[in-house]
Amino acid sequence: MEYLIHLAILFAIYAILGISLNLVVGYAGLLSVTQSAFYGIGAYVTAILLTQSGIGFFLSVILGIIITAVVSFLMGIVLSKFDDDYYALGSFGFNIIIFSIFLNWQDLTRGPLGIPGISRPVLFGFNFSQNAAFLVLALIVLAAIYFISKFIVNSSFGRVLKAIREDEKAIQVFGYNTFNYKMMIFVIAAAMAGVAGALFASYITFIDPSTFTLNESIFILVIIILGGLANLKGSILGALFLILLPEILRFVGFPTEIAAQMRQVVYGVILILLMLYRPQGLVGEYKL
Amino acid sequence: MTAMDILPQLILNGIIAGAVYALMALGFNLIYGATKFFNLAHGILAAVGGYVVFFLFKSNGWNLYLSVIIAVLITGLVGYLIDKVIYSPLRKRKASNMILLVASLGIFTAIQAIIAILFTSQFQTLSTGAGDQNIYQIGTGIITQTQIIILISGLLIMAGLILLLKKTLLGKAIKAISDDEEVAKIVGIDTNKIIGYVFFIGSAIAGLAGILVGFDIGLEPTMGMGLLLKGVIASIIGGVGNIYGGVLGAFLLGFAENFGIWKISGEWKDAIAFGLLIIFLLFRPQGIFKK
Repeated sequence: MEYLIHLAILFAIYAILGISLNLVVGYAGLLSVTQSAFYGIGAYVTAILLTQSGIGFFLSVILGIIITAVVSFLMGIVLSKFDDDYYALGSFGFNIIIFSIFLNWQDLTRGPLGIPGISRPVLFGFNFSQNAAFLVLALIVLAAIYFISKFIVNSSFGRVLKAIREDEKAIQVFGYNTFNYKMMIFVIAAAMAGVAGALFASYITFIDPSTFTLNESIFILVIIILGGLANLKGSILGALFLILLPEILRFVGFPTEIAAQMRQVVYGVILILLMLYRPQGLVGEYKL
Repeated sequence: MTAMDILPQLILNGIIAGAVYALMALGFNLIYGATKFFNLAHGILAAVGGYVVFFLFKSNGWNLYLSVIIAVLITGLVGYLIDKVIYSPLRKRKASNMILLVASLGIFTAIQAIIAILFTSQFQTLSTGAGDQNIYQIGTGIITQTQIIILISGLLIMAGLILLLKKTLLGKAIKAISDDEEVAKIVGIDTNKIIGYVFFIGSAIAGLAGILVGFDIGLEPTMGMGLLLKGVIASIIGGVGNIYGGVLGAFLLGFAENFGIWKISGEWKDAIAFGLLIIFLLFRPQGIFKK
């Protein structure tokens, strides 16, 4: 039972990451491969504040979100100069730069040693130290992110995003400043990933740079491409499937080290097969 | 040590790193020129080359030169098969560059993990014993025999590739496809076949780069990503699709990294490389030489 709760919490965190990235890749059509950088910034800011200041969980998360948003804003300005595959490459670069900062700014992040002893959330006097309670919190946050995203994509703002994805020049002719739209969705999505990072840090109570690598960004990309681009439920489905998949591999009975690598093989093969036979994913509404 | 004492070593390190990056950039640019998409799987082929030598030469005690030749050919073949099984069907369907890029990411992830399963994630070296290779002194800098071989083979491959592109029929066909695939088709070039050859040649060169790195530094399954990104950065700095530009970009990058860590600590090498990439993308996206 405890293990099922653990899986459900991980699922909630990855579903949030998937939904956030889908806003950028699926709705705005920007192939960003840097979501784990924002996930990491949210996690690190929350972890540092929780272990070194007495401001409590709520304020730590808010500050984490703000700092993630500011960093993503600066990154977004640079990335806005690129299109398509150059955009993907630029975002790759930022992921590696942010990872280097986690790893090498040792005074702040303790580098490869990581930050231990992060406390579980305490909100309105209630302590989420039990995993079951934490799961409820994670699911509430997931629901909130889902409905906010749903509201965004169904609003006129969301329709402009889809129009930018289909034909940016045409929508510019109608007088829309596409830069602002792309920037806003990029920052919103980064902030959501920051929330996922805060949840992760306070759930595991320990973080180190190895969680926030380029591979993690690729994993989040697999979630949304498998589930389907421009479909929020698809991202939830994708996260569910990919969190459960390793458990199936576990039943096959591989040793731990090999099982971890087998998982990567499966993710890679899923990406190849999807591109070959079903680029829109399970329930997607947009193809790359 | 004063600045003047350390300078020759920095220059040597820059040249050696540049030669490896140049090999990665050559193959990457050749493939990009013909297909116009970022083939991220290019990086993992370097690891494939290195590990085939590891398997033949270190695990099974084959002759060194034979192992290297077979490894280069196998790497070329793997690249060729990836094109035939995955990229070629996608091209026929006129899939977008993004689909090809994501598929190449999948190939990269899968092969990297397969290598880790077969050979573990441990760091391994190809050279048979440390300290038994000759070391040469140039000024106050030193260079190992392996590094001299890296430089020489880098230059030979560059010269060979340029000759191939300029003097042979295959080279002219590749150039025609790089200029305009549709037109090349119309004049009767079997573009799919030629692109297959391009994948073979480009991947074989990446395999050689991986083998040289394996002898100079060592092998790990994750080595492909670093090499790929350096090759891509070099290509973009030099002007993507332009093989001469890629070589120049590679040496620039090699120098920038090695002079960068003179003042900043070594862990920031990757960040410096990507900083350079983003500066180029922002201010001179067409690279030094425009294609």
